[in-house]
Amino acid sequence: MLKLILRRLVQMFLIMAVASLLLFAIFDTPDFKKRLAVQELGGFAVSALSEDSYQAWLSERGLDAPFYIRYTNWIGSILQGDLGFSYEKNREVGPLLLDRLANTGILAFFVFALMIPLSLVLGVLAGMKEGSVQDRTISFISVFTTSIPEIATAILLTVVLSLGLGWLPAKSAMIRGFEFQQLILPVLTLVIYDFGYVARMTRASMAEVMTSQYIRTAILKGIPYRRVVMRHALRNALIAPFTLIVLQLNWLLSGVVVVEVFFEYDGFGKLLLEAALFPDVEVVQACTLVAVAVAVVSQIISDIGYTFLNPRIRFA
Amino acid sequence: MSNKDTSKTLHPKVAEARRDMETGKLNRREFVRFAALLGVGAGAAYAMAGLPNPAVAQDAANLPFPADDPDAKMGGALNVAMQVQKMEDPATYSWIEMSNQTRHILEHLSFTGPDNVTRPMLAERWEASEDLKSWTFYLRKGVKWHNGDDFTTEDVLFNFTRWTDPDLGSSNVGLSSISAMLEEKDGKKVLREGAIEVIDDHTIRFNLAKPVLSFPEDMYNYPTALVHRSFKPPFSDNPIGTGPFTLVENVVGDRCLLKRVEGIEYWGGKVYLDEIRYYNFDEDNQLTAFASGDVDAIYEFGVEQMELAKALDGDIIPARTAQTLCCRFQVTQKPFDDKRVRQAIVKAIDNARVKELVYPDGGDVGENHHVAPIHPEYYALPKLERDVEGAKALLAEAGYPDGLEITIDVGNTDGPWHQTVAEAMRDQLKDAGITLNVNVMPPSKYWEIWDKTPFGATAWTHRPLGTMVLSLGYRSGVPWNETKYANPEWDAALDAAESTLDVEKRTAFMEKVEKILQDDAVMVQPIFRPVYTIAAKSVHGYPGHPTQCHQFNKVWKA
Amino acid sequence: MAVTEIDAGPSVLDRLSRPKPLIALALLMWVPLTAYVMFGGRMDGYADTVLLPAVPATVLLYVLGVRAFRESWVAVIGLSLVFFWLLAAVSAPYLPLLDPNKPIAPFVTPFSEKRDVFFWLGTDFKGRDMLSRVIWGCQRVIVWGVSATMVAYVVGALFGLISGYLSGWWDEVISFFANVLLSFPVMVLFIVILNYLGPSGFNIVVAVTFASAPAIMRIVRGLALDIKTRDYVFAAQTRGEHPLYIMIFELLPNVRGPIIVDACLRLGYTTVAITTLTFLGLGLQPPDPDWGLMIRESAKTAMLWKFSYMLLVPALAVSSLILGFNLMADGLREMSLRD
Repeated sequence: MLKLILRRLVQMFLIMAVASLLLFAIFDTPDFKKRLAVQELGGFAVSALSEDSYQAWLSERGLDAPFYIRYTNWIGSILQGDLGFSYEKNREVGPLLLDRLANTGILAFFVFALMIPLSLVLGVLAGMKEGSVQDRTISFISVFTTSIPEIATAILLTVVLSLGLGWLPAKSAMIRGFEFQQLILPVLTLVIYDFGYVARMTRASMAEVMTSQYIRTAILKGIPYRRVVMRHALRNALIAPFTLIVLQLNWLLSGVVVVEVFFEYDGFGKLLLEAALFPDVEVVQACTLVAVAVAVVSQIISDIGYTFLNPRIRFA
Repeated sequence: MSNKDTSKTLHPKVAEARRDMETGKLNRREFVRFAALLGVGAGAAYAMAGLPNPAVAQDAANLPFPADDPDAKMGGALNVAMQVQKMEDPATYSWIEMSNQTRHILEHLSFTGPDNVTRPMLAERWEASEDLKSWTFYLRKGVKWHNGDDFTTEDVLFNFTRWTDPDLGSSNVGLSSISAMLEEKDGKKVLREGAIEVIDDHTIRFNLAKPVLSFPEDMYNYPTALVHRSFKPPFSDNPIGTGPFTLVENVVGDRCLLKRVEGIEYWGGKVYLDEIRYYNFDEDNQLTAFASGDVDAIYEFGVEQMELAKALDGDIIPARTAQTLCCRFQVTQKPFDDKRVRQAIVKAIDNARVKELVYPDGGDVGENHHVAPIHPEYYALPKLERDVEGAKALLAEAGYPDGLEITIDVGNTDGPWHQTVAEAMRDQLKDAGITLNVNVMPPSKYWEIWDKTPFGATAWTHRPLGTMVLSLGYRSGVPWNETKYANPEWDAALDAAESTLDVEKRTAFMEKVEKILQDDAVMVQPIFRPVYTIAAKSVHGYPGHPTQCHQFNKVWKA
Repeated sequence: MAVTEIDAGPSVLDRLSRPKPLIALALLMWVPLTAYVMFGGRMDGYADTVLLPAVPATVLLYVLGVRAFRESWVAVIGLSLVFFWLLAAVSAPYLPLLDPNKPIAPFVTPFSEKRDVFFWLGTDFKGRDMLSRVIWGCQRVIVWGVSATMVAYVVGALFGLISGYLSGWWDEVISFFANVLLSFPVMVLFIVILNYLGPSGFNIVVAVTFASAPAIMRIVRGLALDIKTRDYVFAAQTRGEHPLYIMIFELLPNVRGPIIVDACLRLGYTTVAITTLTFLGLGLQPPDPDWGLMIRESAKTAMLWKFSYMLLVPALAVSSLILGFNLMADGLREMSLRD
């Protein structure tokens, strides 16, 4: 077990190293540097710059060094806990990223708090009686909600709840500090998009358990149906969804980009997009590292969890 | 100083106003206020108007700001949606937004108001020599820095010395006034010996190498805010200024909070607001932020958002400007090296119709010579007429009897309206047998090719005088000459206009300048666009400025 | 989102691929449509005639599809939604529509008349007809979405076959790179790649390939590992066939079945991705219409109840197309389980 985790972690650092090197190479093109200059100095000014003063500007920014040298420097400072500096936001990347990750964390917390019970309950209800009306309805709803892209869900919710009924604010910029009201629409959007997927997996898992030999035996033995479901079926049926839910963390890092941009919520996704467009290299780097780390760690957790929860594997 | 001399060496508008007074369009007291605002010492202004000089009027009349509002309510905070940027070094600012954050703290020698008239600000008045080669600025007395120091010529000298330091890289050296103080030394442009002459604590003289008309206007260019003589970047760490506000907090990409300075009596009269808070919103999202009630006012909204703005509960504030889009040809590249081709294209387009389509509310029709009706020296040439048949004939003559296919590069650097202009042109050119392909690219891409593409739509910002932009963009061989236009006759005509301070005479010179440029057909320039902003009904006196400069001294919130 | 549960049996595959005319029809529909969207600008005179054969082909394909799927009403609904948009895409030049890029009268609400023109879905902020923009827009979304998915499949399947069949260090190297790519959240990958290449349709194809091919590769690899132990593969090996021959003619036909369900789902994801990327400013470029662009442009002009149709129309359009793809996948799976 420990060996597996270690192997995975080593793999993670290897992937991070490869990914960040690639990013450094990508952002090294003259094109990107020019874009940075345009952002910093304005379009007219840049084209009026002489080649000499442009080179001077590059060296002032430290951009004239070849990318592998900048990369080794960057690795060096990362190891000392310094994530670099954001040109765009004029701030250390570390605290900036922490701020935004905290905001996305708040968002993710509410998404999971709502999505997990909802999808598990619906999935179990559907899987209990495969093929019933209850099952078909829930299945259809989950296909339907997963089919609507987040951007469309966001639009529908905004149009109805905010522009139409005026119950909720349309944007979530939170310029005067945290307001729970502004969090509702982004959370709902993400929950609506994601719960159907988890519910369907729970349903499949539940349905499988319900047709298994020991559940049939239990029912035939005359144990009350409710007790069979609660005591015996649920535990086994929830193993697969558990691993899946942990993996949703990875999905969420992708999913929040469009939601945060649409609702103007200052989180990780919006930071990443702004930084990539700017192009604010060190922020993109840091965001990518975080994303890769979250992806790999959630994968490891889900594997460990699966092993611990599944008696067949544990005692094998 | 005789009356005649004053009117000649002072602001061109003084002569205009004087004419208005003499013909009865302006009463004498209004003239005094106006002339005083334009840099005529109050005493001289009263003398010109033939009125006795009241001692008290002098102070009040000489402030560049709007008059006090008797209904104004003191206090309150104004929340504004704008991009919040860094406040590093005011001399190297590259965006208006940065300067707006600073503008409430730092001030300029002059102030170009929402009406495009430049008035003295930290200077009390100025004088130019007959040949426009020597400008004397008289600083306002009693102006205090936030640390208690007096504002003197030492500060002005410090700032000019900084700007002209070649290692600083301030874009101010590109201003015609500052560049006339430089000389080439070891391959670098440095301040010429004797260019700046400190006469006393409150008088300073600038000696220029060539005549410059736009000195006062240059002094409100956004990187020319005056910093304290102890200044060291970044500004946000030690924000000493002369303005009514000081910095509380600046978080780039998030918020910039300013509050009233305490303990210093502000020179500029009453200021109503207690706090100004900028919140970061992209240009696209500022109006939606206003719609959701998050902010009281915004930096700007685009013409495509006009219907949304009209539906909101607020006052739309338009500003007439000389901001424009030049769909310019590079006259050295085929097929635009043939003047007949360019003329045919220009003839086939109805500028007024394009303007109507793109900016139905406000704005001015452009006349393909880049001088706007709000420029003081604008000369009204006969209106342009669309002539499709004439265009076809010219095309045939140039060797394209079966029509012509051309492509315009559009970067939408100033909003999606660039593309709308190009599309409107495409539809009109079809009638003359010209196929126009509209090639849209991201703004950053456009800035890489703006001075290289054969046919491109470049946005030019507002400048207070028409000669300023012509000099920058169309003189033979200047760096920003994107058309590669080179016409010695036109250069000479512009020289003549540029060395004339008297606005009436200058306007006469401009006829030739505008006419040649128009006839040579170097661009289709259909619109001088208005800029729009919006403020809540509770906000009073929110200015709509041609370059979106924020001066909130007389803004108040109910 | 990861794709799991691919277990469509061979019988669905048989029903789908047995009649060769079906493939011919699909090509007859797809090739002109792709050519029209990708190179239409360069075919001056004859651009509009290119799509003519595609219209009847699409209708026929739909009829055949409904017959094949008739057991599952879910699949039929999905098929109908997808073919509604396909038909709209191929027949757009022949429908009595206004020019999608021509400004007529801005902010006309749906079902109302202005300047003697009746606007079914109203006009946008520039005064362009929404109906015509939605229909022309679906052309770009469908063509780029399907092309990107197809390219991703070719690349993913190729590497999957190599990795699964040849094993050894081929497998090690390919799997490592697949793992590198898979450990990026998809959106991060899209943003980085498109930001590097610049926004355009072709670059979306590249980005989607990078993002989807590793997952496809894993699926195909798993299937290939399983199939290569079968007798007919051994037979081919003993015949002395070249590994490439075995991969293409023995392995590939037998992994096709499970892949079709996955493809339907993936088509949906790709369409969402393209719309989302265009909304974020990284996808297709103006002025030609597409749904993501319509949302992007309206998001700043239409934040008001009475203008909300400008956002709703493209949002509903994209939702219905993706619902179509997903229902089709669902129906296919259901049918395969039943067999």
